[in-house]
Amino acid sequence: MDTAETTSAPPARDRTPTWRTVQPWLTLACRVGLAVVLITAAVSKYPPALSVQAVEAYDLLPTDLARLIGYTLPLFELALAVLLLVGLATRYAAAATTLLMIVFIAGIVSAMARGLSIDCGCFGGGGQVDPEETTYGLSIARDIGFAALGAFIAVWPRSPFALDRPLGLFR
Amino acid sequence: MGSAARQRSRERLKEQREKDKRKASRMRTLAVVGAAAGVVVLIVGIGYAVLNSDRSGSEFDGALAPQVVQDDGSVVMAQSGVQAPVVEVYADYQCPACRQFELLNGDVLKETAASGEAIVHFRPVSIFAQQPVPISSNSLRAGAAARAAADHGVFVEFNDLLFANQPTEGAAGFTTDELKEWFGETGASEEAAAAFGERVDSEAAVVTQFTEDYLPALTEDAVEQIGQENLSTMVLSDLLAWGAEHGHDPSFLDGTYTGEIIDATGTAYTRYSGDNAFRATPSVYINGELLDNSTAMTVRGLNGAIEDASAGEVQTEPLADAGGAE
Repeated sequence: MDTAETTSAPPARDRTPTWRTVQPWLTLACRVGLAVVLITAAVSKYPPALSVQAVEAYDLLPTDLARLIGYTLPLFELALAVLLLVGLATRYAAAATTLLMIVFIAGIVSAMARGLSIDCGCFGGGGQVDPEETTYGLSIARDIGFAALGAFIAVWPRSPFALDRPLGLFR
Repeated sequence: MGSAARQRSRERLKEQREKDKRKASRMRTLAVVGAAAGVVVLIVGIGYAVLNSDRSGSEFDGALAPQVVQDDGSVVMAQSGVQAPVVEVYADYQCPACRQFELLNGDVLKETAASGEAIVHFRPVSIFAQQPVPISSNSLRAGAAARAAADHGVFVEFNDLLFANQPTEGAAGFTTDELKEWFGETGASEEAAAAFGERVDSEAAVVTQFTEDYLPALTEDAVEQIGQENLSTMVLSDLLAWGAEHGHDPSFLDGTYTGEIIDATGTAYTRYSGDNAFRATPSVYINGELLDNSTAMTVRGLNGAIEDASAGEVQTEPLADAGGAE
C-alpha cells in the first residue's frame, strides 16, 4: 500500500536529496537578505515628513492618504522584515513582500509613463530630480530582484531558525 | 464480505484521520498567520503613535508674534526686544520638502516666536529660478507675492497659504488670480488688497519676461561663451552679473521683488561655509548652524534644538520704511 506515500509525497522538485538539504539554507539566505533590504529601506525613509514628500511626488494620492502612507509604509516594511527574520508565517510574509514590490514597480512605471522626473524614494530621498538623473530602470530591476527573493521564500518556505517550525508550519 | 467491510471501515477511518489532520494543519496555519498579522498591526500601530506623539496639541492658534520686514526682503517674526535663538528658515515656495517642513513645523515656529523662545527669520529663496517654466515662474511669482504680502504685515499668513496651495512640481499654479484671492483670505483691507494686486501683476510680468525671454537668451550666450561646465558652477546672481557685462542688461529686475529674491538666493549660497553651506531647501539654521534633516524635519527635533540653543543675533537690519502699507 503506498496511498499514504503518494498523498503526502512532496512535489517532485523537492525529491532530490541535495535540493532537500540546500533549499532550507537558500530560503534562510533569502529571508535574511530581504529583511536587510526592508530594514534599510525603512530606516532611510526617516524622518517621515520626507517620506511623505516622496509619496506625494508620485502625484497619485490625495494629500491625507499620501501622508498616511508616508508614515506607515516604512513601519510596514519594518514589520515584514521582523516576520522574515524570525520566520513567522514565512510564506505569507514573503508573499506580502513580493506583492509590495509589485506595487512599487507599478508606481515607478506609472511615474515613468506620465513623464515625471522623480527619485523613486525607495531608500529615502524621493521627490523631483533632473530629468537626466532619473533611475527608473535601475529601481525597477532592483525591485524585480527583491520580488524574486520573496517569491523563492513563498514557494519554498521551509528553512532553519524559523518560529514556524516549533509552531508546526513548513517543517 | 466481512473482510471487505473491514477494509471499507479502515479506509473511512483513515480518511477521517487525514481530514482531521488537514483541518488541524489549516488551523495551525491560520493561527500563525493571525499571529503574524498581529505583529504587523502592533509594529505599524505603535510606530505610528510614536512618530506622531510629538505632534499632538501642537496646533497653534494664538496671536502671531510681530513680523518685521528686513532690508533684504526677509521677514523676522519675534516678540520685540527678546533674547532668544535665531531660527533661520530658507524655503522655496515650489519646493515640496519645504511644504512638508511648513506643514510639520510651521506651528512650532509660530509658537516659539509667540512665547519668546525663538526669533524666527523667514528667508524665502528661489532655488528653482533656473528650472524650466512653470517650475521657475511659479517659484519666483510666489516668492515675489510673499514679499508683497510682507508689505502689508501678513507675510506669515500668506506664507502658510502658499505652501498649503503649492502646485505639483511641473504643473502651472500660483496664478496672479489665486495669489490675490489668498491674500484676501489673510483678512487684509480692501486698500491693501488693491495695492497687493497691483504689485503682484507687475511682478508676474517681470517673472514672465525673466523666465521666458531674458534667462533663455542669457543662458544660451553663456553656454556658448563660457561653457556648460562653468555655467553649472555659477549661481544665478553671478550669471546675471556676467550677463550685465555681455549685453544682457538685467536692470529690469531692479527694484522688483523678483530681483530681490534672486539676489537673496545668491547671497544665501555665500553666507555660510563648510558643513553649514547652503545647498538645498528647506534649510533651517539655528544661530548660523545648519540643522540636519532628522532635527529640522521632526517636531521633537526642532523643538529640542531651539530649547538647547543660546540667544543669537539677527544678521539683517529692519527695512527703513517697514511697518505701514505703502
